[in-house]
Amino acid sequence: MTLLRVEGLGKQFGEVWALRDLDFTLEEGEVVGLVGPNGAGKTTLFNLISGRIKPTTGKILFAGQDISALEPHEICHLGLGRTFQSSRPFPRLTVAQNVLVGRVFGKEFRFRPRPDDLETARELLEVVGLGHKVETLAGSLTPSEQRRLDLARALATRPRLLLLDEVAAGFSPVAVKHAVDLVLRVRERGVTLFVIDHFLNLSLRVSNRLLALDQGEKVAEGAPPEVMRHREVIRAYLGLRREDEND
Amino acid sequence: MERDVPRKGALPGLERGIPITLLLGLVFLPFLARSSGYVLQVFTHALLLASLALAWNILGTGGLISLGHAAFFGVGAYASGLLSLKPALSPWLTIPVGGLFGAGLAVIVGVLCRRLRGAYFALATLAFVEIPRVVTDNWDGLTRGSLGLVGLPGLPVLIIGPWRVEIGSSAAASYYLVLSYTLVVVFLGALLWRSNLGLALQAAREEETAARAVGVHVDRYRFLSLLLSAFLTGTSGAIYVHLTRYTVPGLVYSLHFSAVPVIFAMCGGRFTILGPALAALVLYPVDQFLFHPLLPAGHEFLYGLVLVLVVLFMPGGLWGALRRSP
Amino acid sequence: MWVTALVSGIALGSFYSLIAMGFALIFGVTHAFNLAHGELVVLAGYVAYWLWKGWGLSLVFTFPVAVAVLLCLCLILQRLFALLREPLELNSIVMSFGLAILLQNGMLFAFSGDYRLIRTPALTEGVYVNGLSLTYSQIALVALSLVAIGLLHLLMHHTYLGKALRATIQDREGAALAGINVRGMGLVAFGFGAVCIGLAGPLYGSVHYLYPAAGLQATLIAITVTIFAGVGRIRGLIVGGWLLGLAESAAVILLGSSWRELVSAVILIGLLVFRPRGILGREEG
Repeated sequence: MTLLRVEGLGKQFGEVWALRDLDFTLEEGEVVGLVGPNGAGKTTLFNLISGRIKPTTGKILFAGQDISALEPHEICHLGLGRTFQSSRPFPRLTVAQNVLVGRVFGKEFRFRPRPDDLETARELLEVVGLGHKVETLAGSLTPSEQRRLDLARALATRPRLLLLDEVAAGFSPVAVKHAVDLVLRVRERGVTLFVIDHFLNLSLRVSNRLLALDQGEKVAEGAPPEVMRHREVIRAYLGLRREDEND
Repeated sequence: MERDVPRKGALPGLERGIPITLLLGLVFLPFLARSSGYVLQVFTHALLLASLALAWNILGTGGLISLGHAAFFGVGAYASGLLSLKPALSPWLTIPVGGLFGAGLAVIVGVLCRRLRGAYFALATLAFVEIPRVVTDNWDGLTRGSLGLVGLPGLPVLIIGPWRVEIGSSAAASYYLVLSYTLVVVFLGALLWRSNLGLALQAAREEETAARAVGVHVDRYRFLSLLLSAFLTGTSGAIYVHLTRYTVPGLVYSLHFSAVPVIFAMCGGRFTILGPALAALVLYPVDQFLFHPLLPAGHEFLYGLVLVLVVLFMPGGLWGALRRSP
Repeated sequence: MWVTALVSGIALGSFYSLIAMGFALIFGVTHAFNLAHGELVVLAGYVAYWLWKGWGLSLVFTFPVAVAVLLCLCLILQRLFALLREPLELNSIVMSFGLAILLQNGMLFAFSGDYRLIRTPALTEGVYVNGLSLTYSQIALVALSLVAIGLLHLLMHHTYLGKALRATIQDREGAALAGINVRGMGLVAFGFGAVCIGLAGPLYGSVHYLYPAAGLQATLIAITVTIFAGVGRIRGLIVGGWLLGLAESAAVILLGSSWRELVSAVILIGLLVFRPRGILGREEG
């Protein structure tokens, strides 16, 4: 089924349109990569979908429901989660507590803790490879570990759709391979994924489909090889703009 | 239930040892200090300030720093004082009602300052104290204005079966009442800390955006923590006013009662349960026994100095640092 | 009666602008809140009082000394603020809160809680213009603050240093990238702030009673006027000061003098609650 539908979405900041007239859909079970050079509007799109900012035009439908005006925590409760471009763990809480927050609040609030909450948290930490650091304070993790923690925490909210923002930024080739495996494992858990990685190394390897943006507009959409060979996409990455076209 | 994952503390012995020793000392203080009524008085006051600092930190757990808690303290004091005079209700009743008035004021603050964060919230609370203070000062008909309230009933009488204790007339009994109240506040604080609500508040304090993104209703939980904090602060104020048996607006609404919880919580450790209380029980007696005799005017510079040093060099507070050091 | 209120409101308001000037400059450039600002003003007043009382110095000569003392103090302050970690705004509020208490108690120790006043009989005399009575102190207040604002405006808009200051106020990162020594700008801001405070203090001591706890009110006023004007907007400080002064005068007439302190508190809260985060002059997207 169509999990996410974006219609005529636009966002204006002052005079500038960060995103303009965007239409696309996401089917359940897909992994869609969002590509485009810096400033193309990728993170803005994530911020709009997750409710952090509100659209200027258009609307966002998640599982048929209009979420354009909802608050981030409400959107999370509906099953839409996200991670952030720069990792945001809760530094003075332990790794386990970080994931617990997602587990406890991801769906609906429970005042009393449930016995399986901590179990689930540990299990998710195993999945991302942090099972041995359960009691460590999140603030003392390395940046890559913090990213994985953010992922575990987001997974703990039991999302149907997960927006991953730069999950492999700055990773070495070996680390990218691990990240690819991780993303695929997440996919196996039944989570639909919308992935930004502007270095392309991850999105090309895991995505069923790519969506390419440039200067706030969609320029291409389709299977990864085709999109990457698409004239507009190449020009965008090389820094040429369509207005520059004069041949 | 293993919901609370233990952290590697410093010297775990000290972490248990210090509070327990302190508690024992406090429990037996009236006997240890039998000859000096002044010592008992100082520690009664210290415990009251400890309860105030703990109450303040409940709000602080969610990441909001208030520089105007004297507003809740004063409102609780005046509500309890007035109700114990005119309808002449027993302080057993008026003290919690004072707390309710504190919470009521907090509703106004919470609604007004809904969108404020960090420094701007702190500023708003700093300014807000003026409102109940000036109103109390001027509403002569109700509050007797700047003349204040005098001749207030003391702490009430406790009747258990055949036993009758006039708490107000006995320094030791008053002390134990305040001690019991402070222990209750510690217990409530610990309960909150270990609950899911406490987890949400701390998450919001650490990274508000991320907390929202994982489903935490930050505004609502902070509002709840504000209500609880204000209720306990108002109760502290009410107890205070029945201890001293008089008050003027300039006293209970003074900067002193706004500053003291901030200082004790920060110096003790905002990120711990006991930190605020421990700081109160150390700093206040030091101020009273050591600095006050030396500098009758201006001895509270100590508080200012300690706060500056802590903010610059030890933001987690002394107790916080002790618990965390490897 | 209303005309007298108008006059006193503007005189008072001019004084408020002067107090706010130092705060606005420091906050604009460094984004650090200095809750001890009012205490510094009172301290400058005490310095002037001490010189006048103990050494027989006439009021006029106390100004340079007060400015000099404040320059030293603000230098130390700038170093302290520079040590703060993120989040700067909140940490600076808490630290300066501690400083305020420290200073307040220091002044309590040095000068006791008695109310002090620098009596300058010349200032209480005045002129009679068009049926309007103006005291010299009121004229001095208005004149001095207008001159100060004027000089500040000249500095900010017609000198190279001013340009650098304005750039830092508008965008610290951008200014740093453009090669401006942002740290140094902070020092300059504290320096000019010290001058403003050093001028405001002795004035305060001659028109108001000095007492240690007076600082908080002055700080709240400075913050209110600064937020009203919008950070970096110098001219707004005069307008903001005057409006506040007029509002207070009106409140005193309508309600009585004991309600005066409520006015700035209510206005400040109103500004914080209803004025969007465009205190910085632009919306945060």
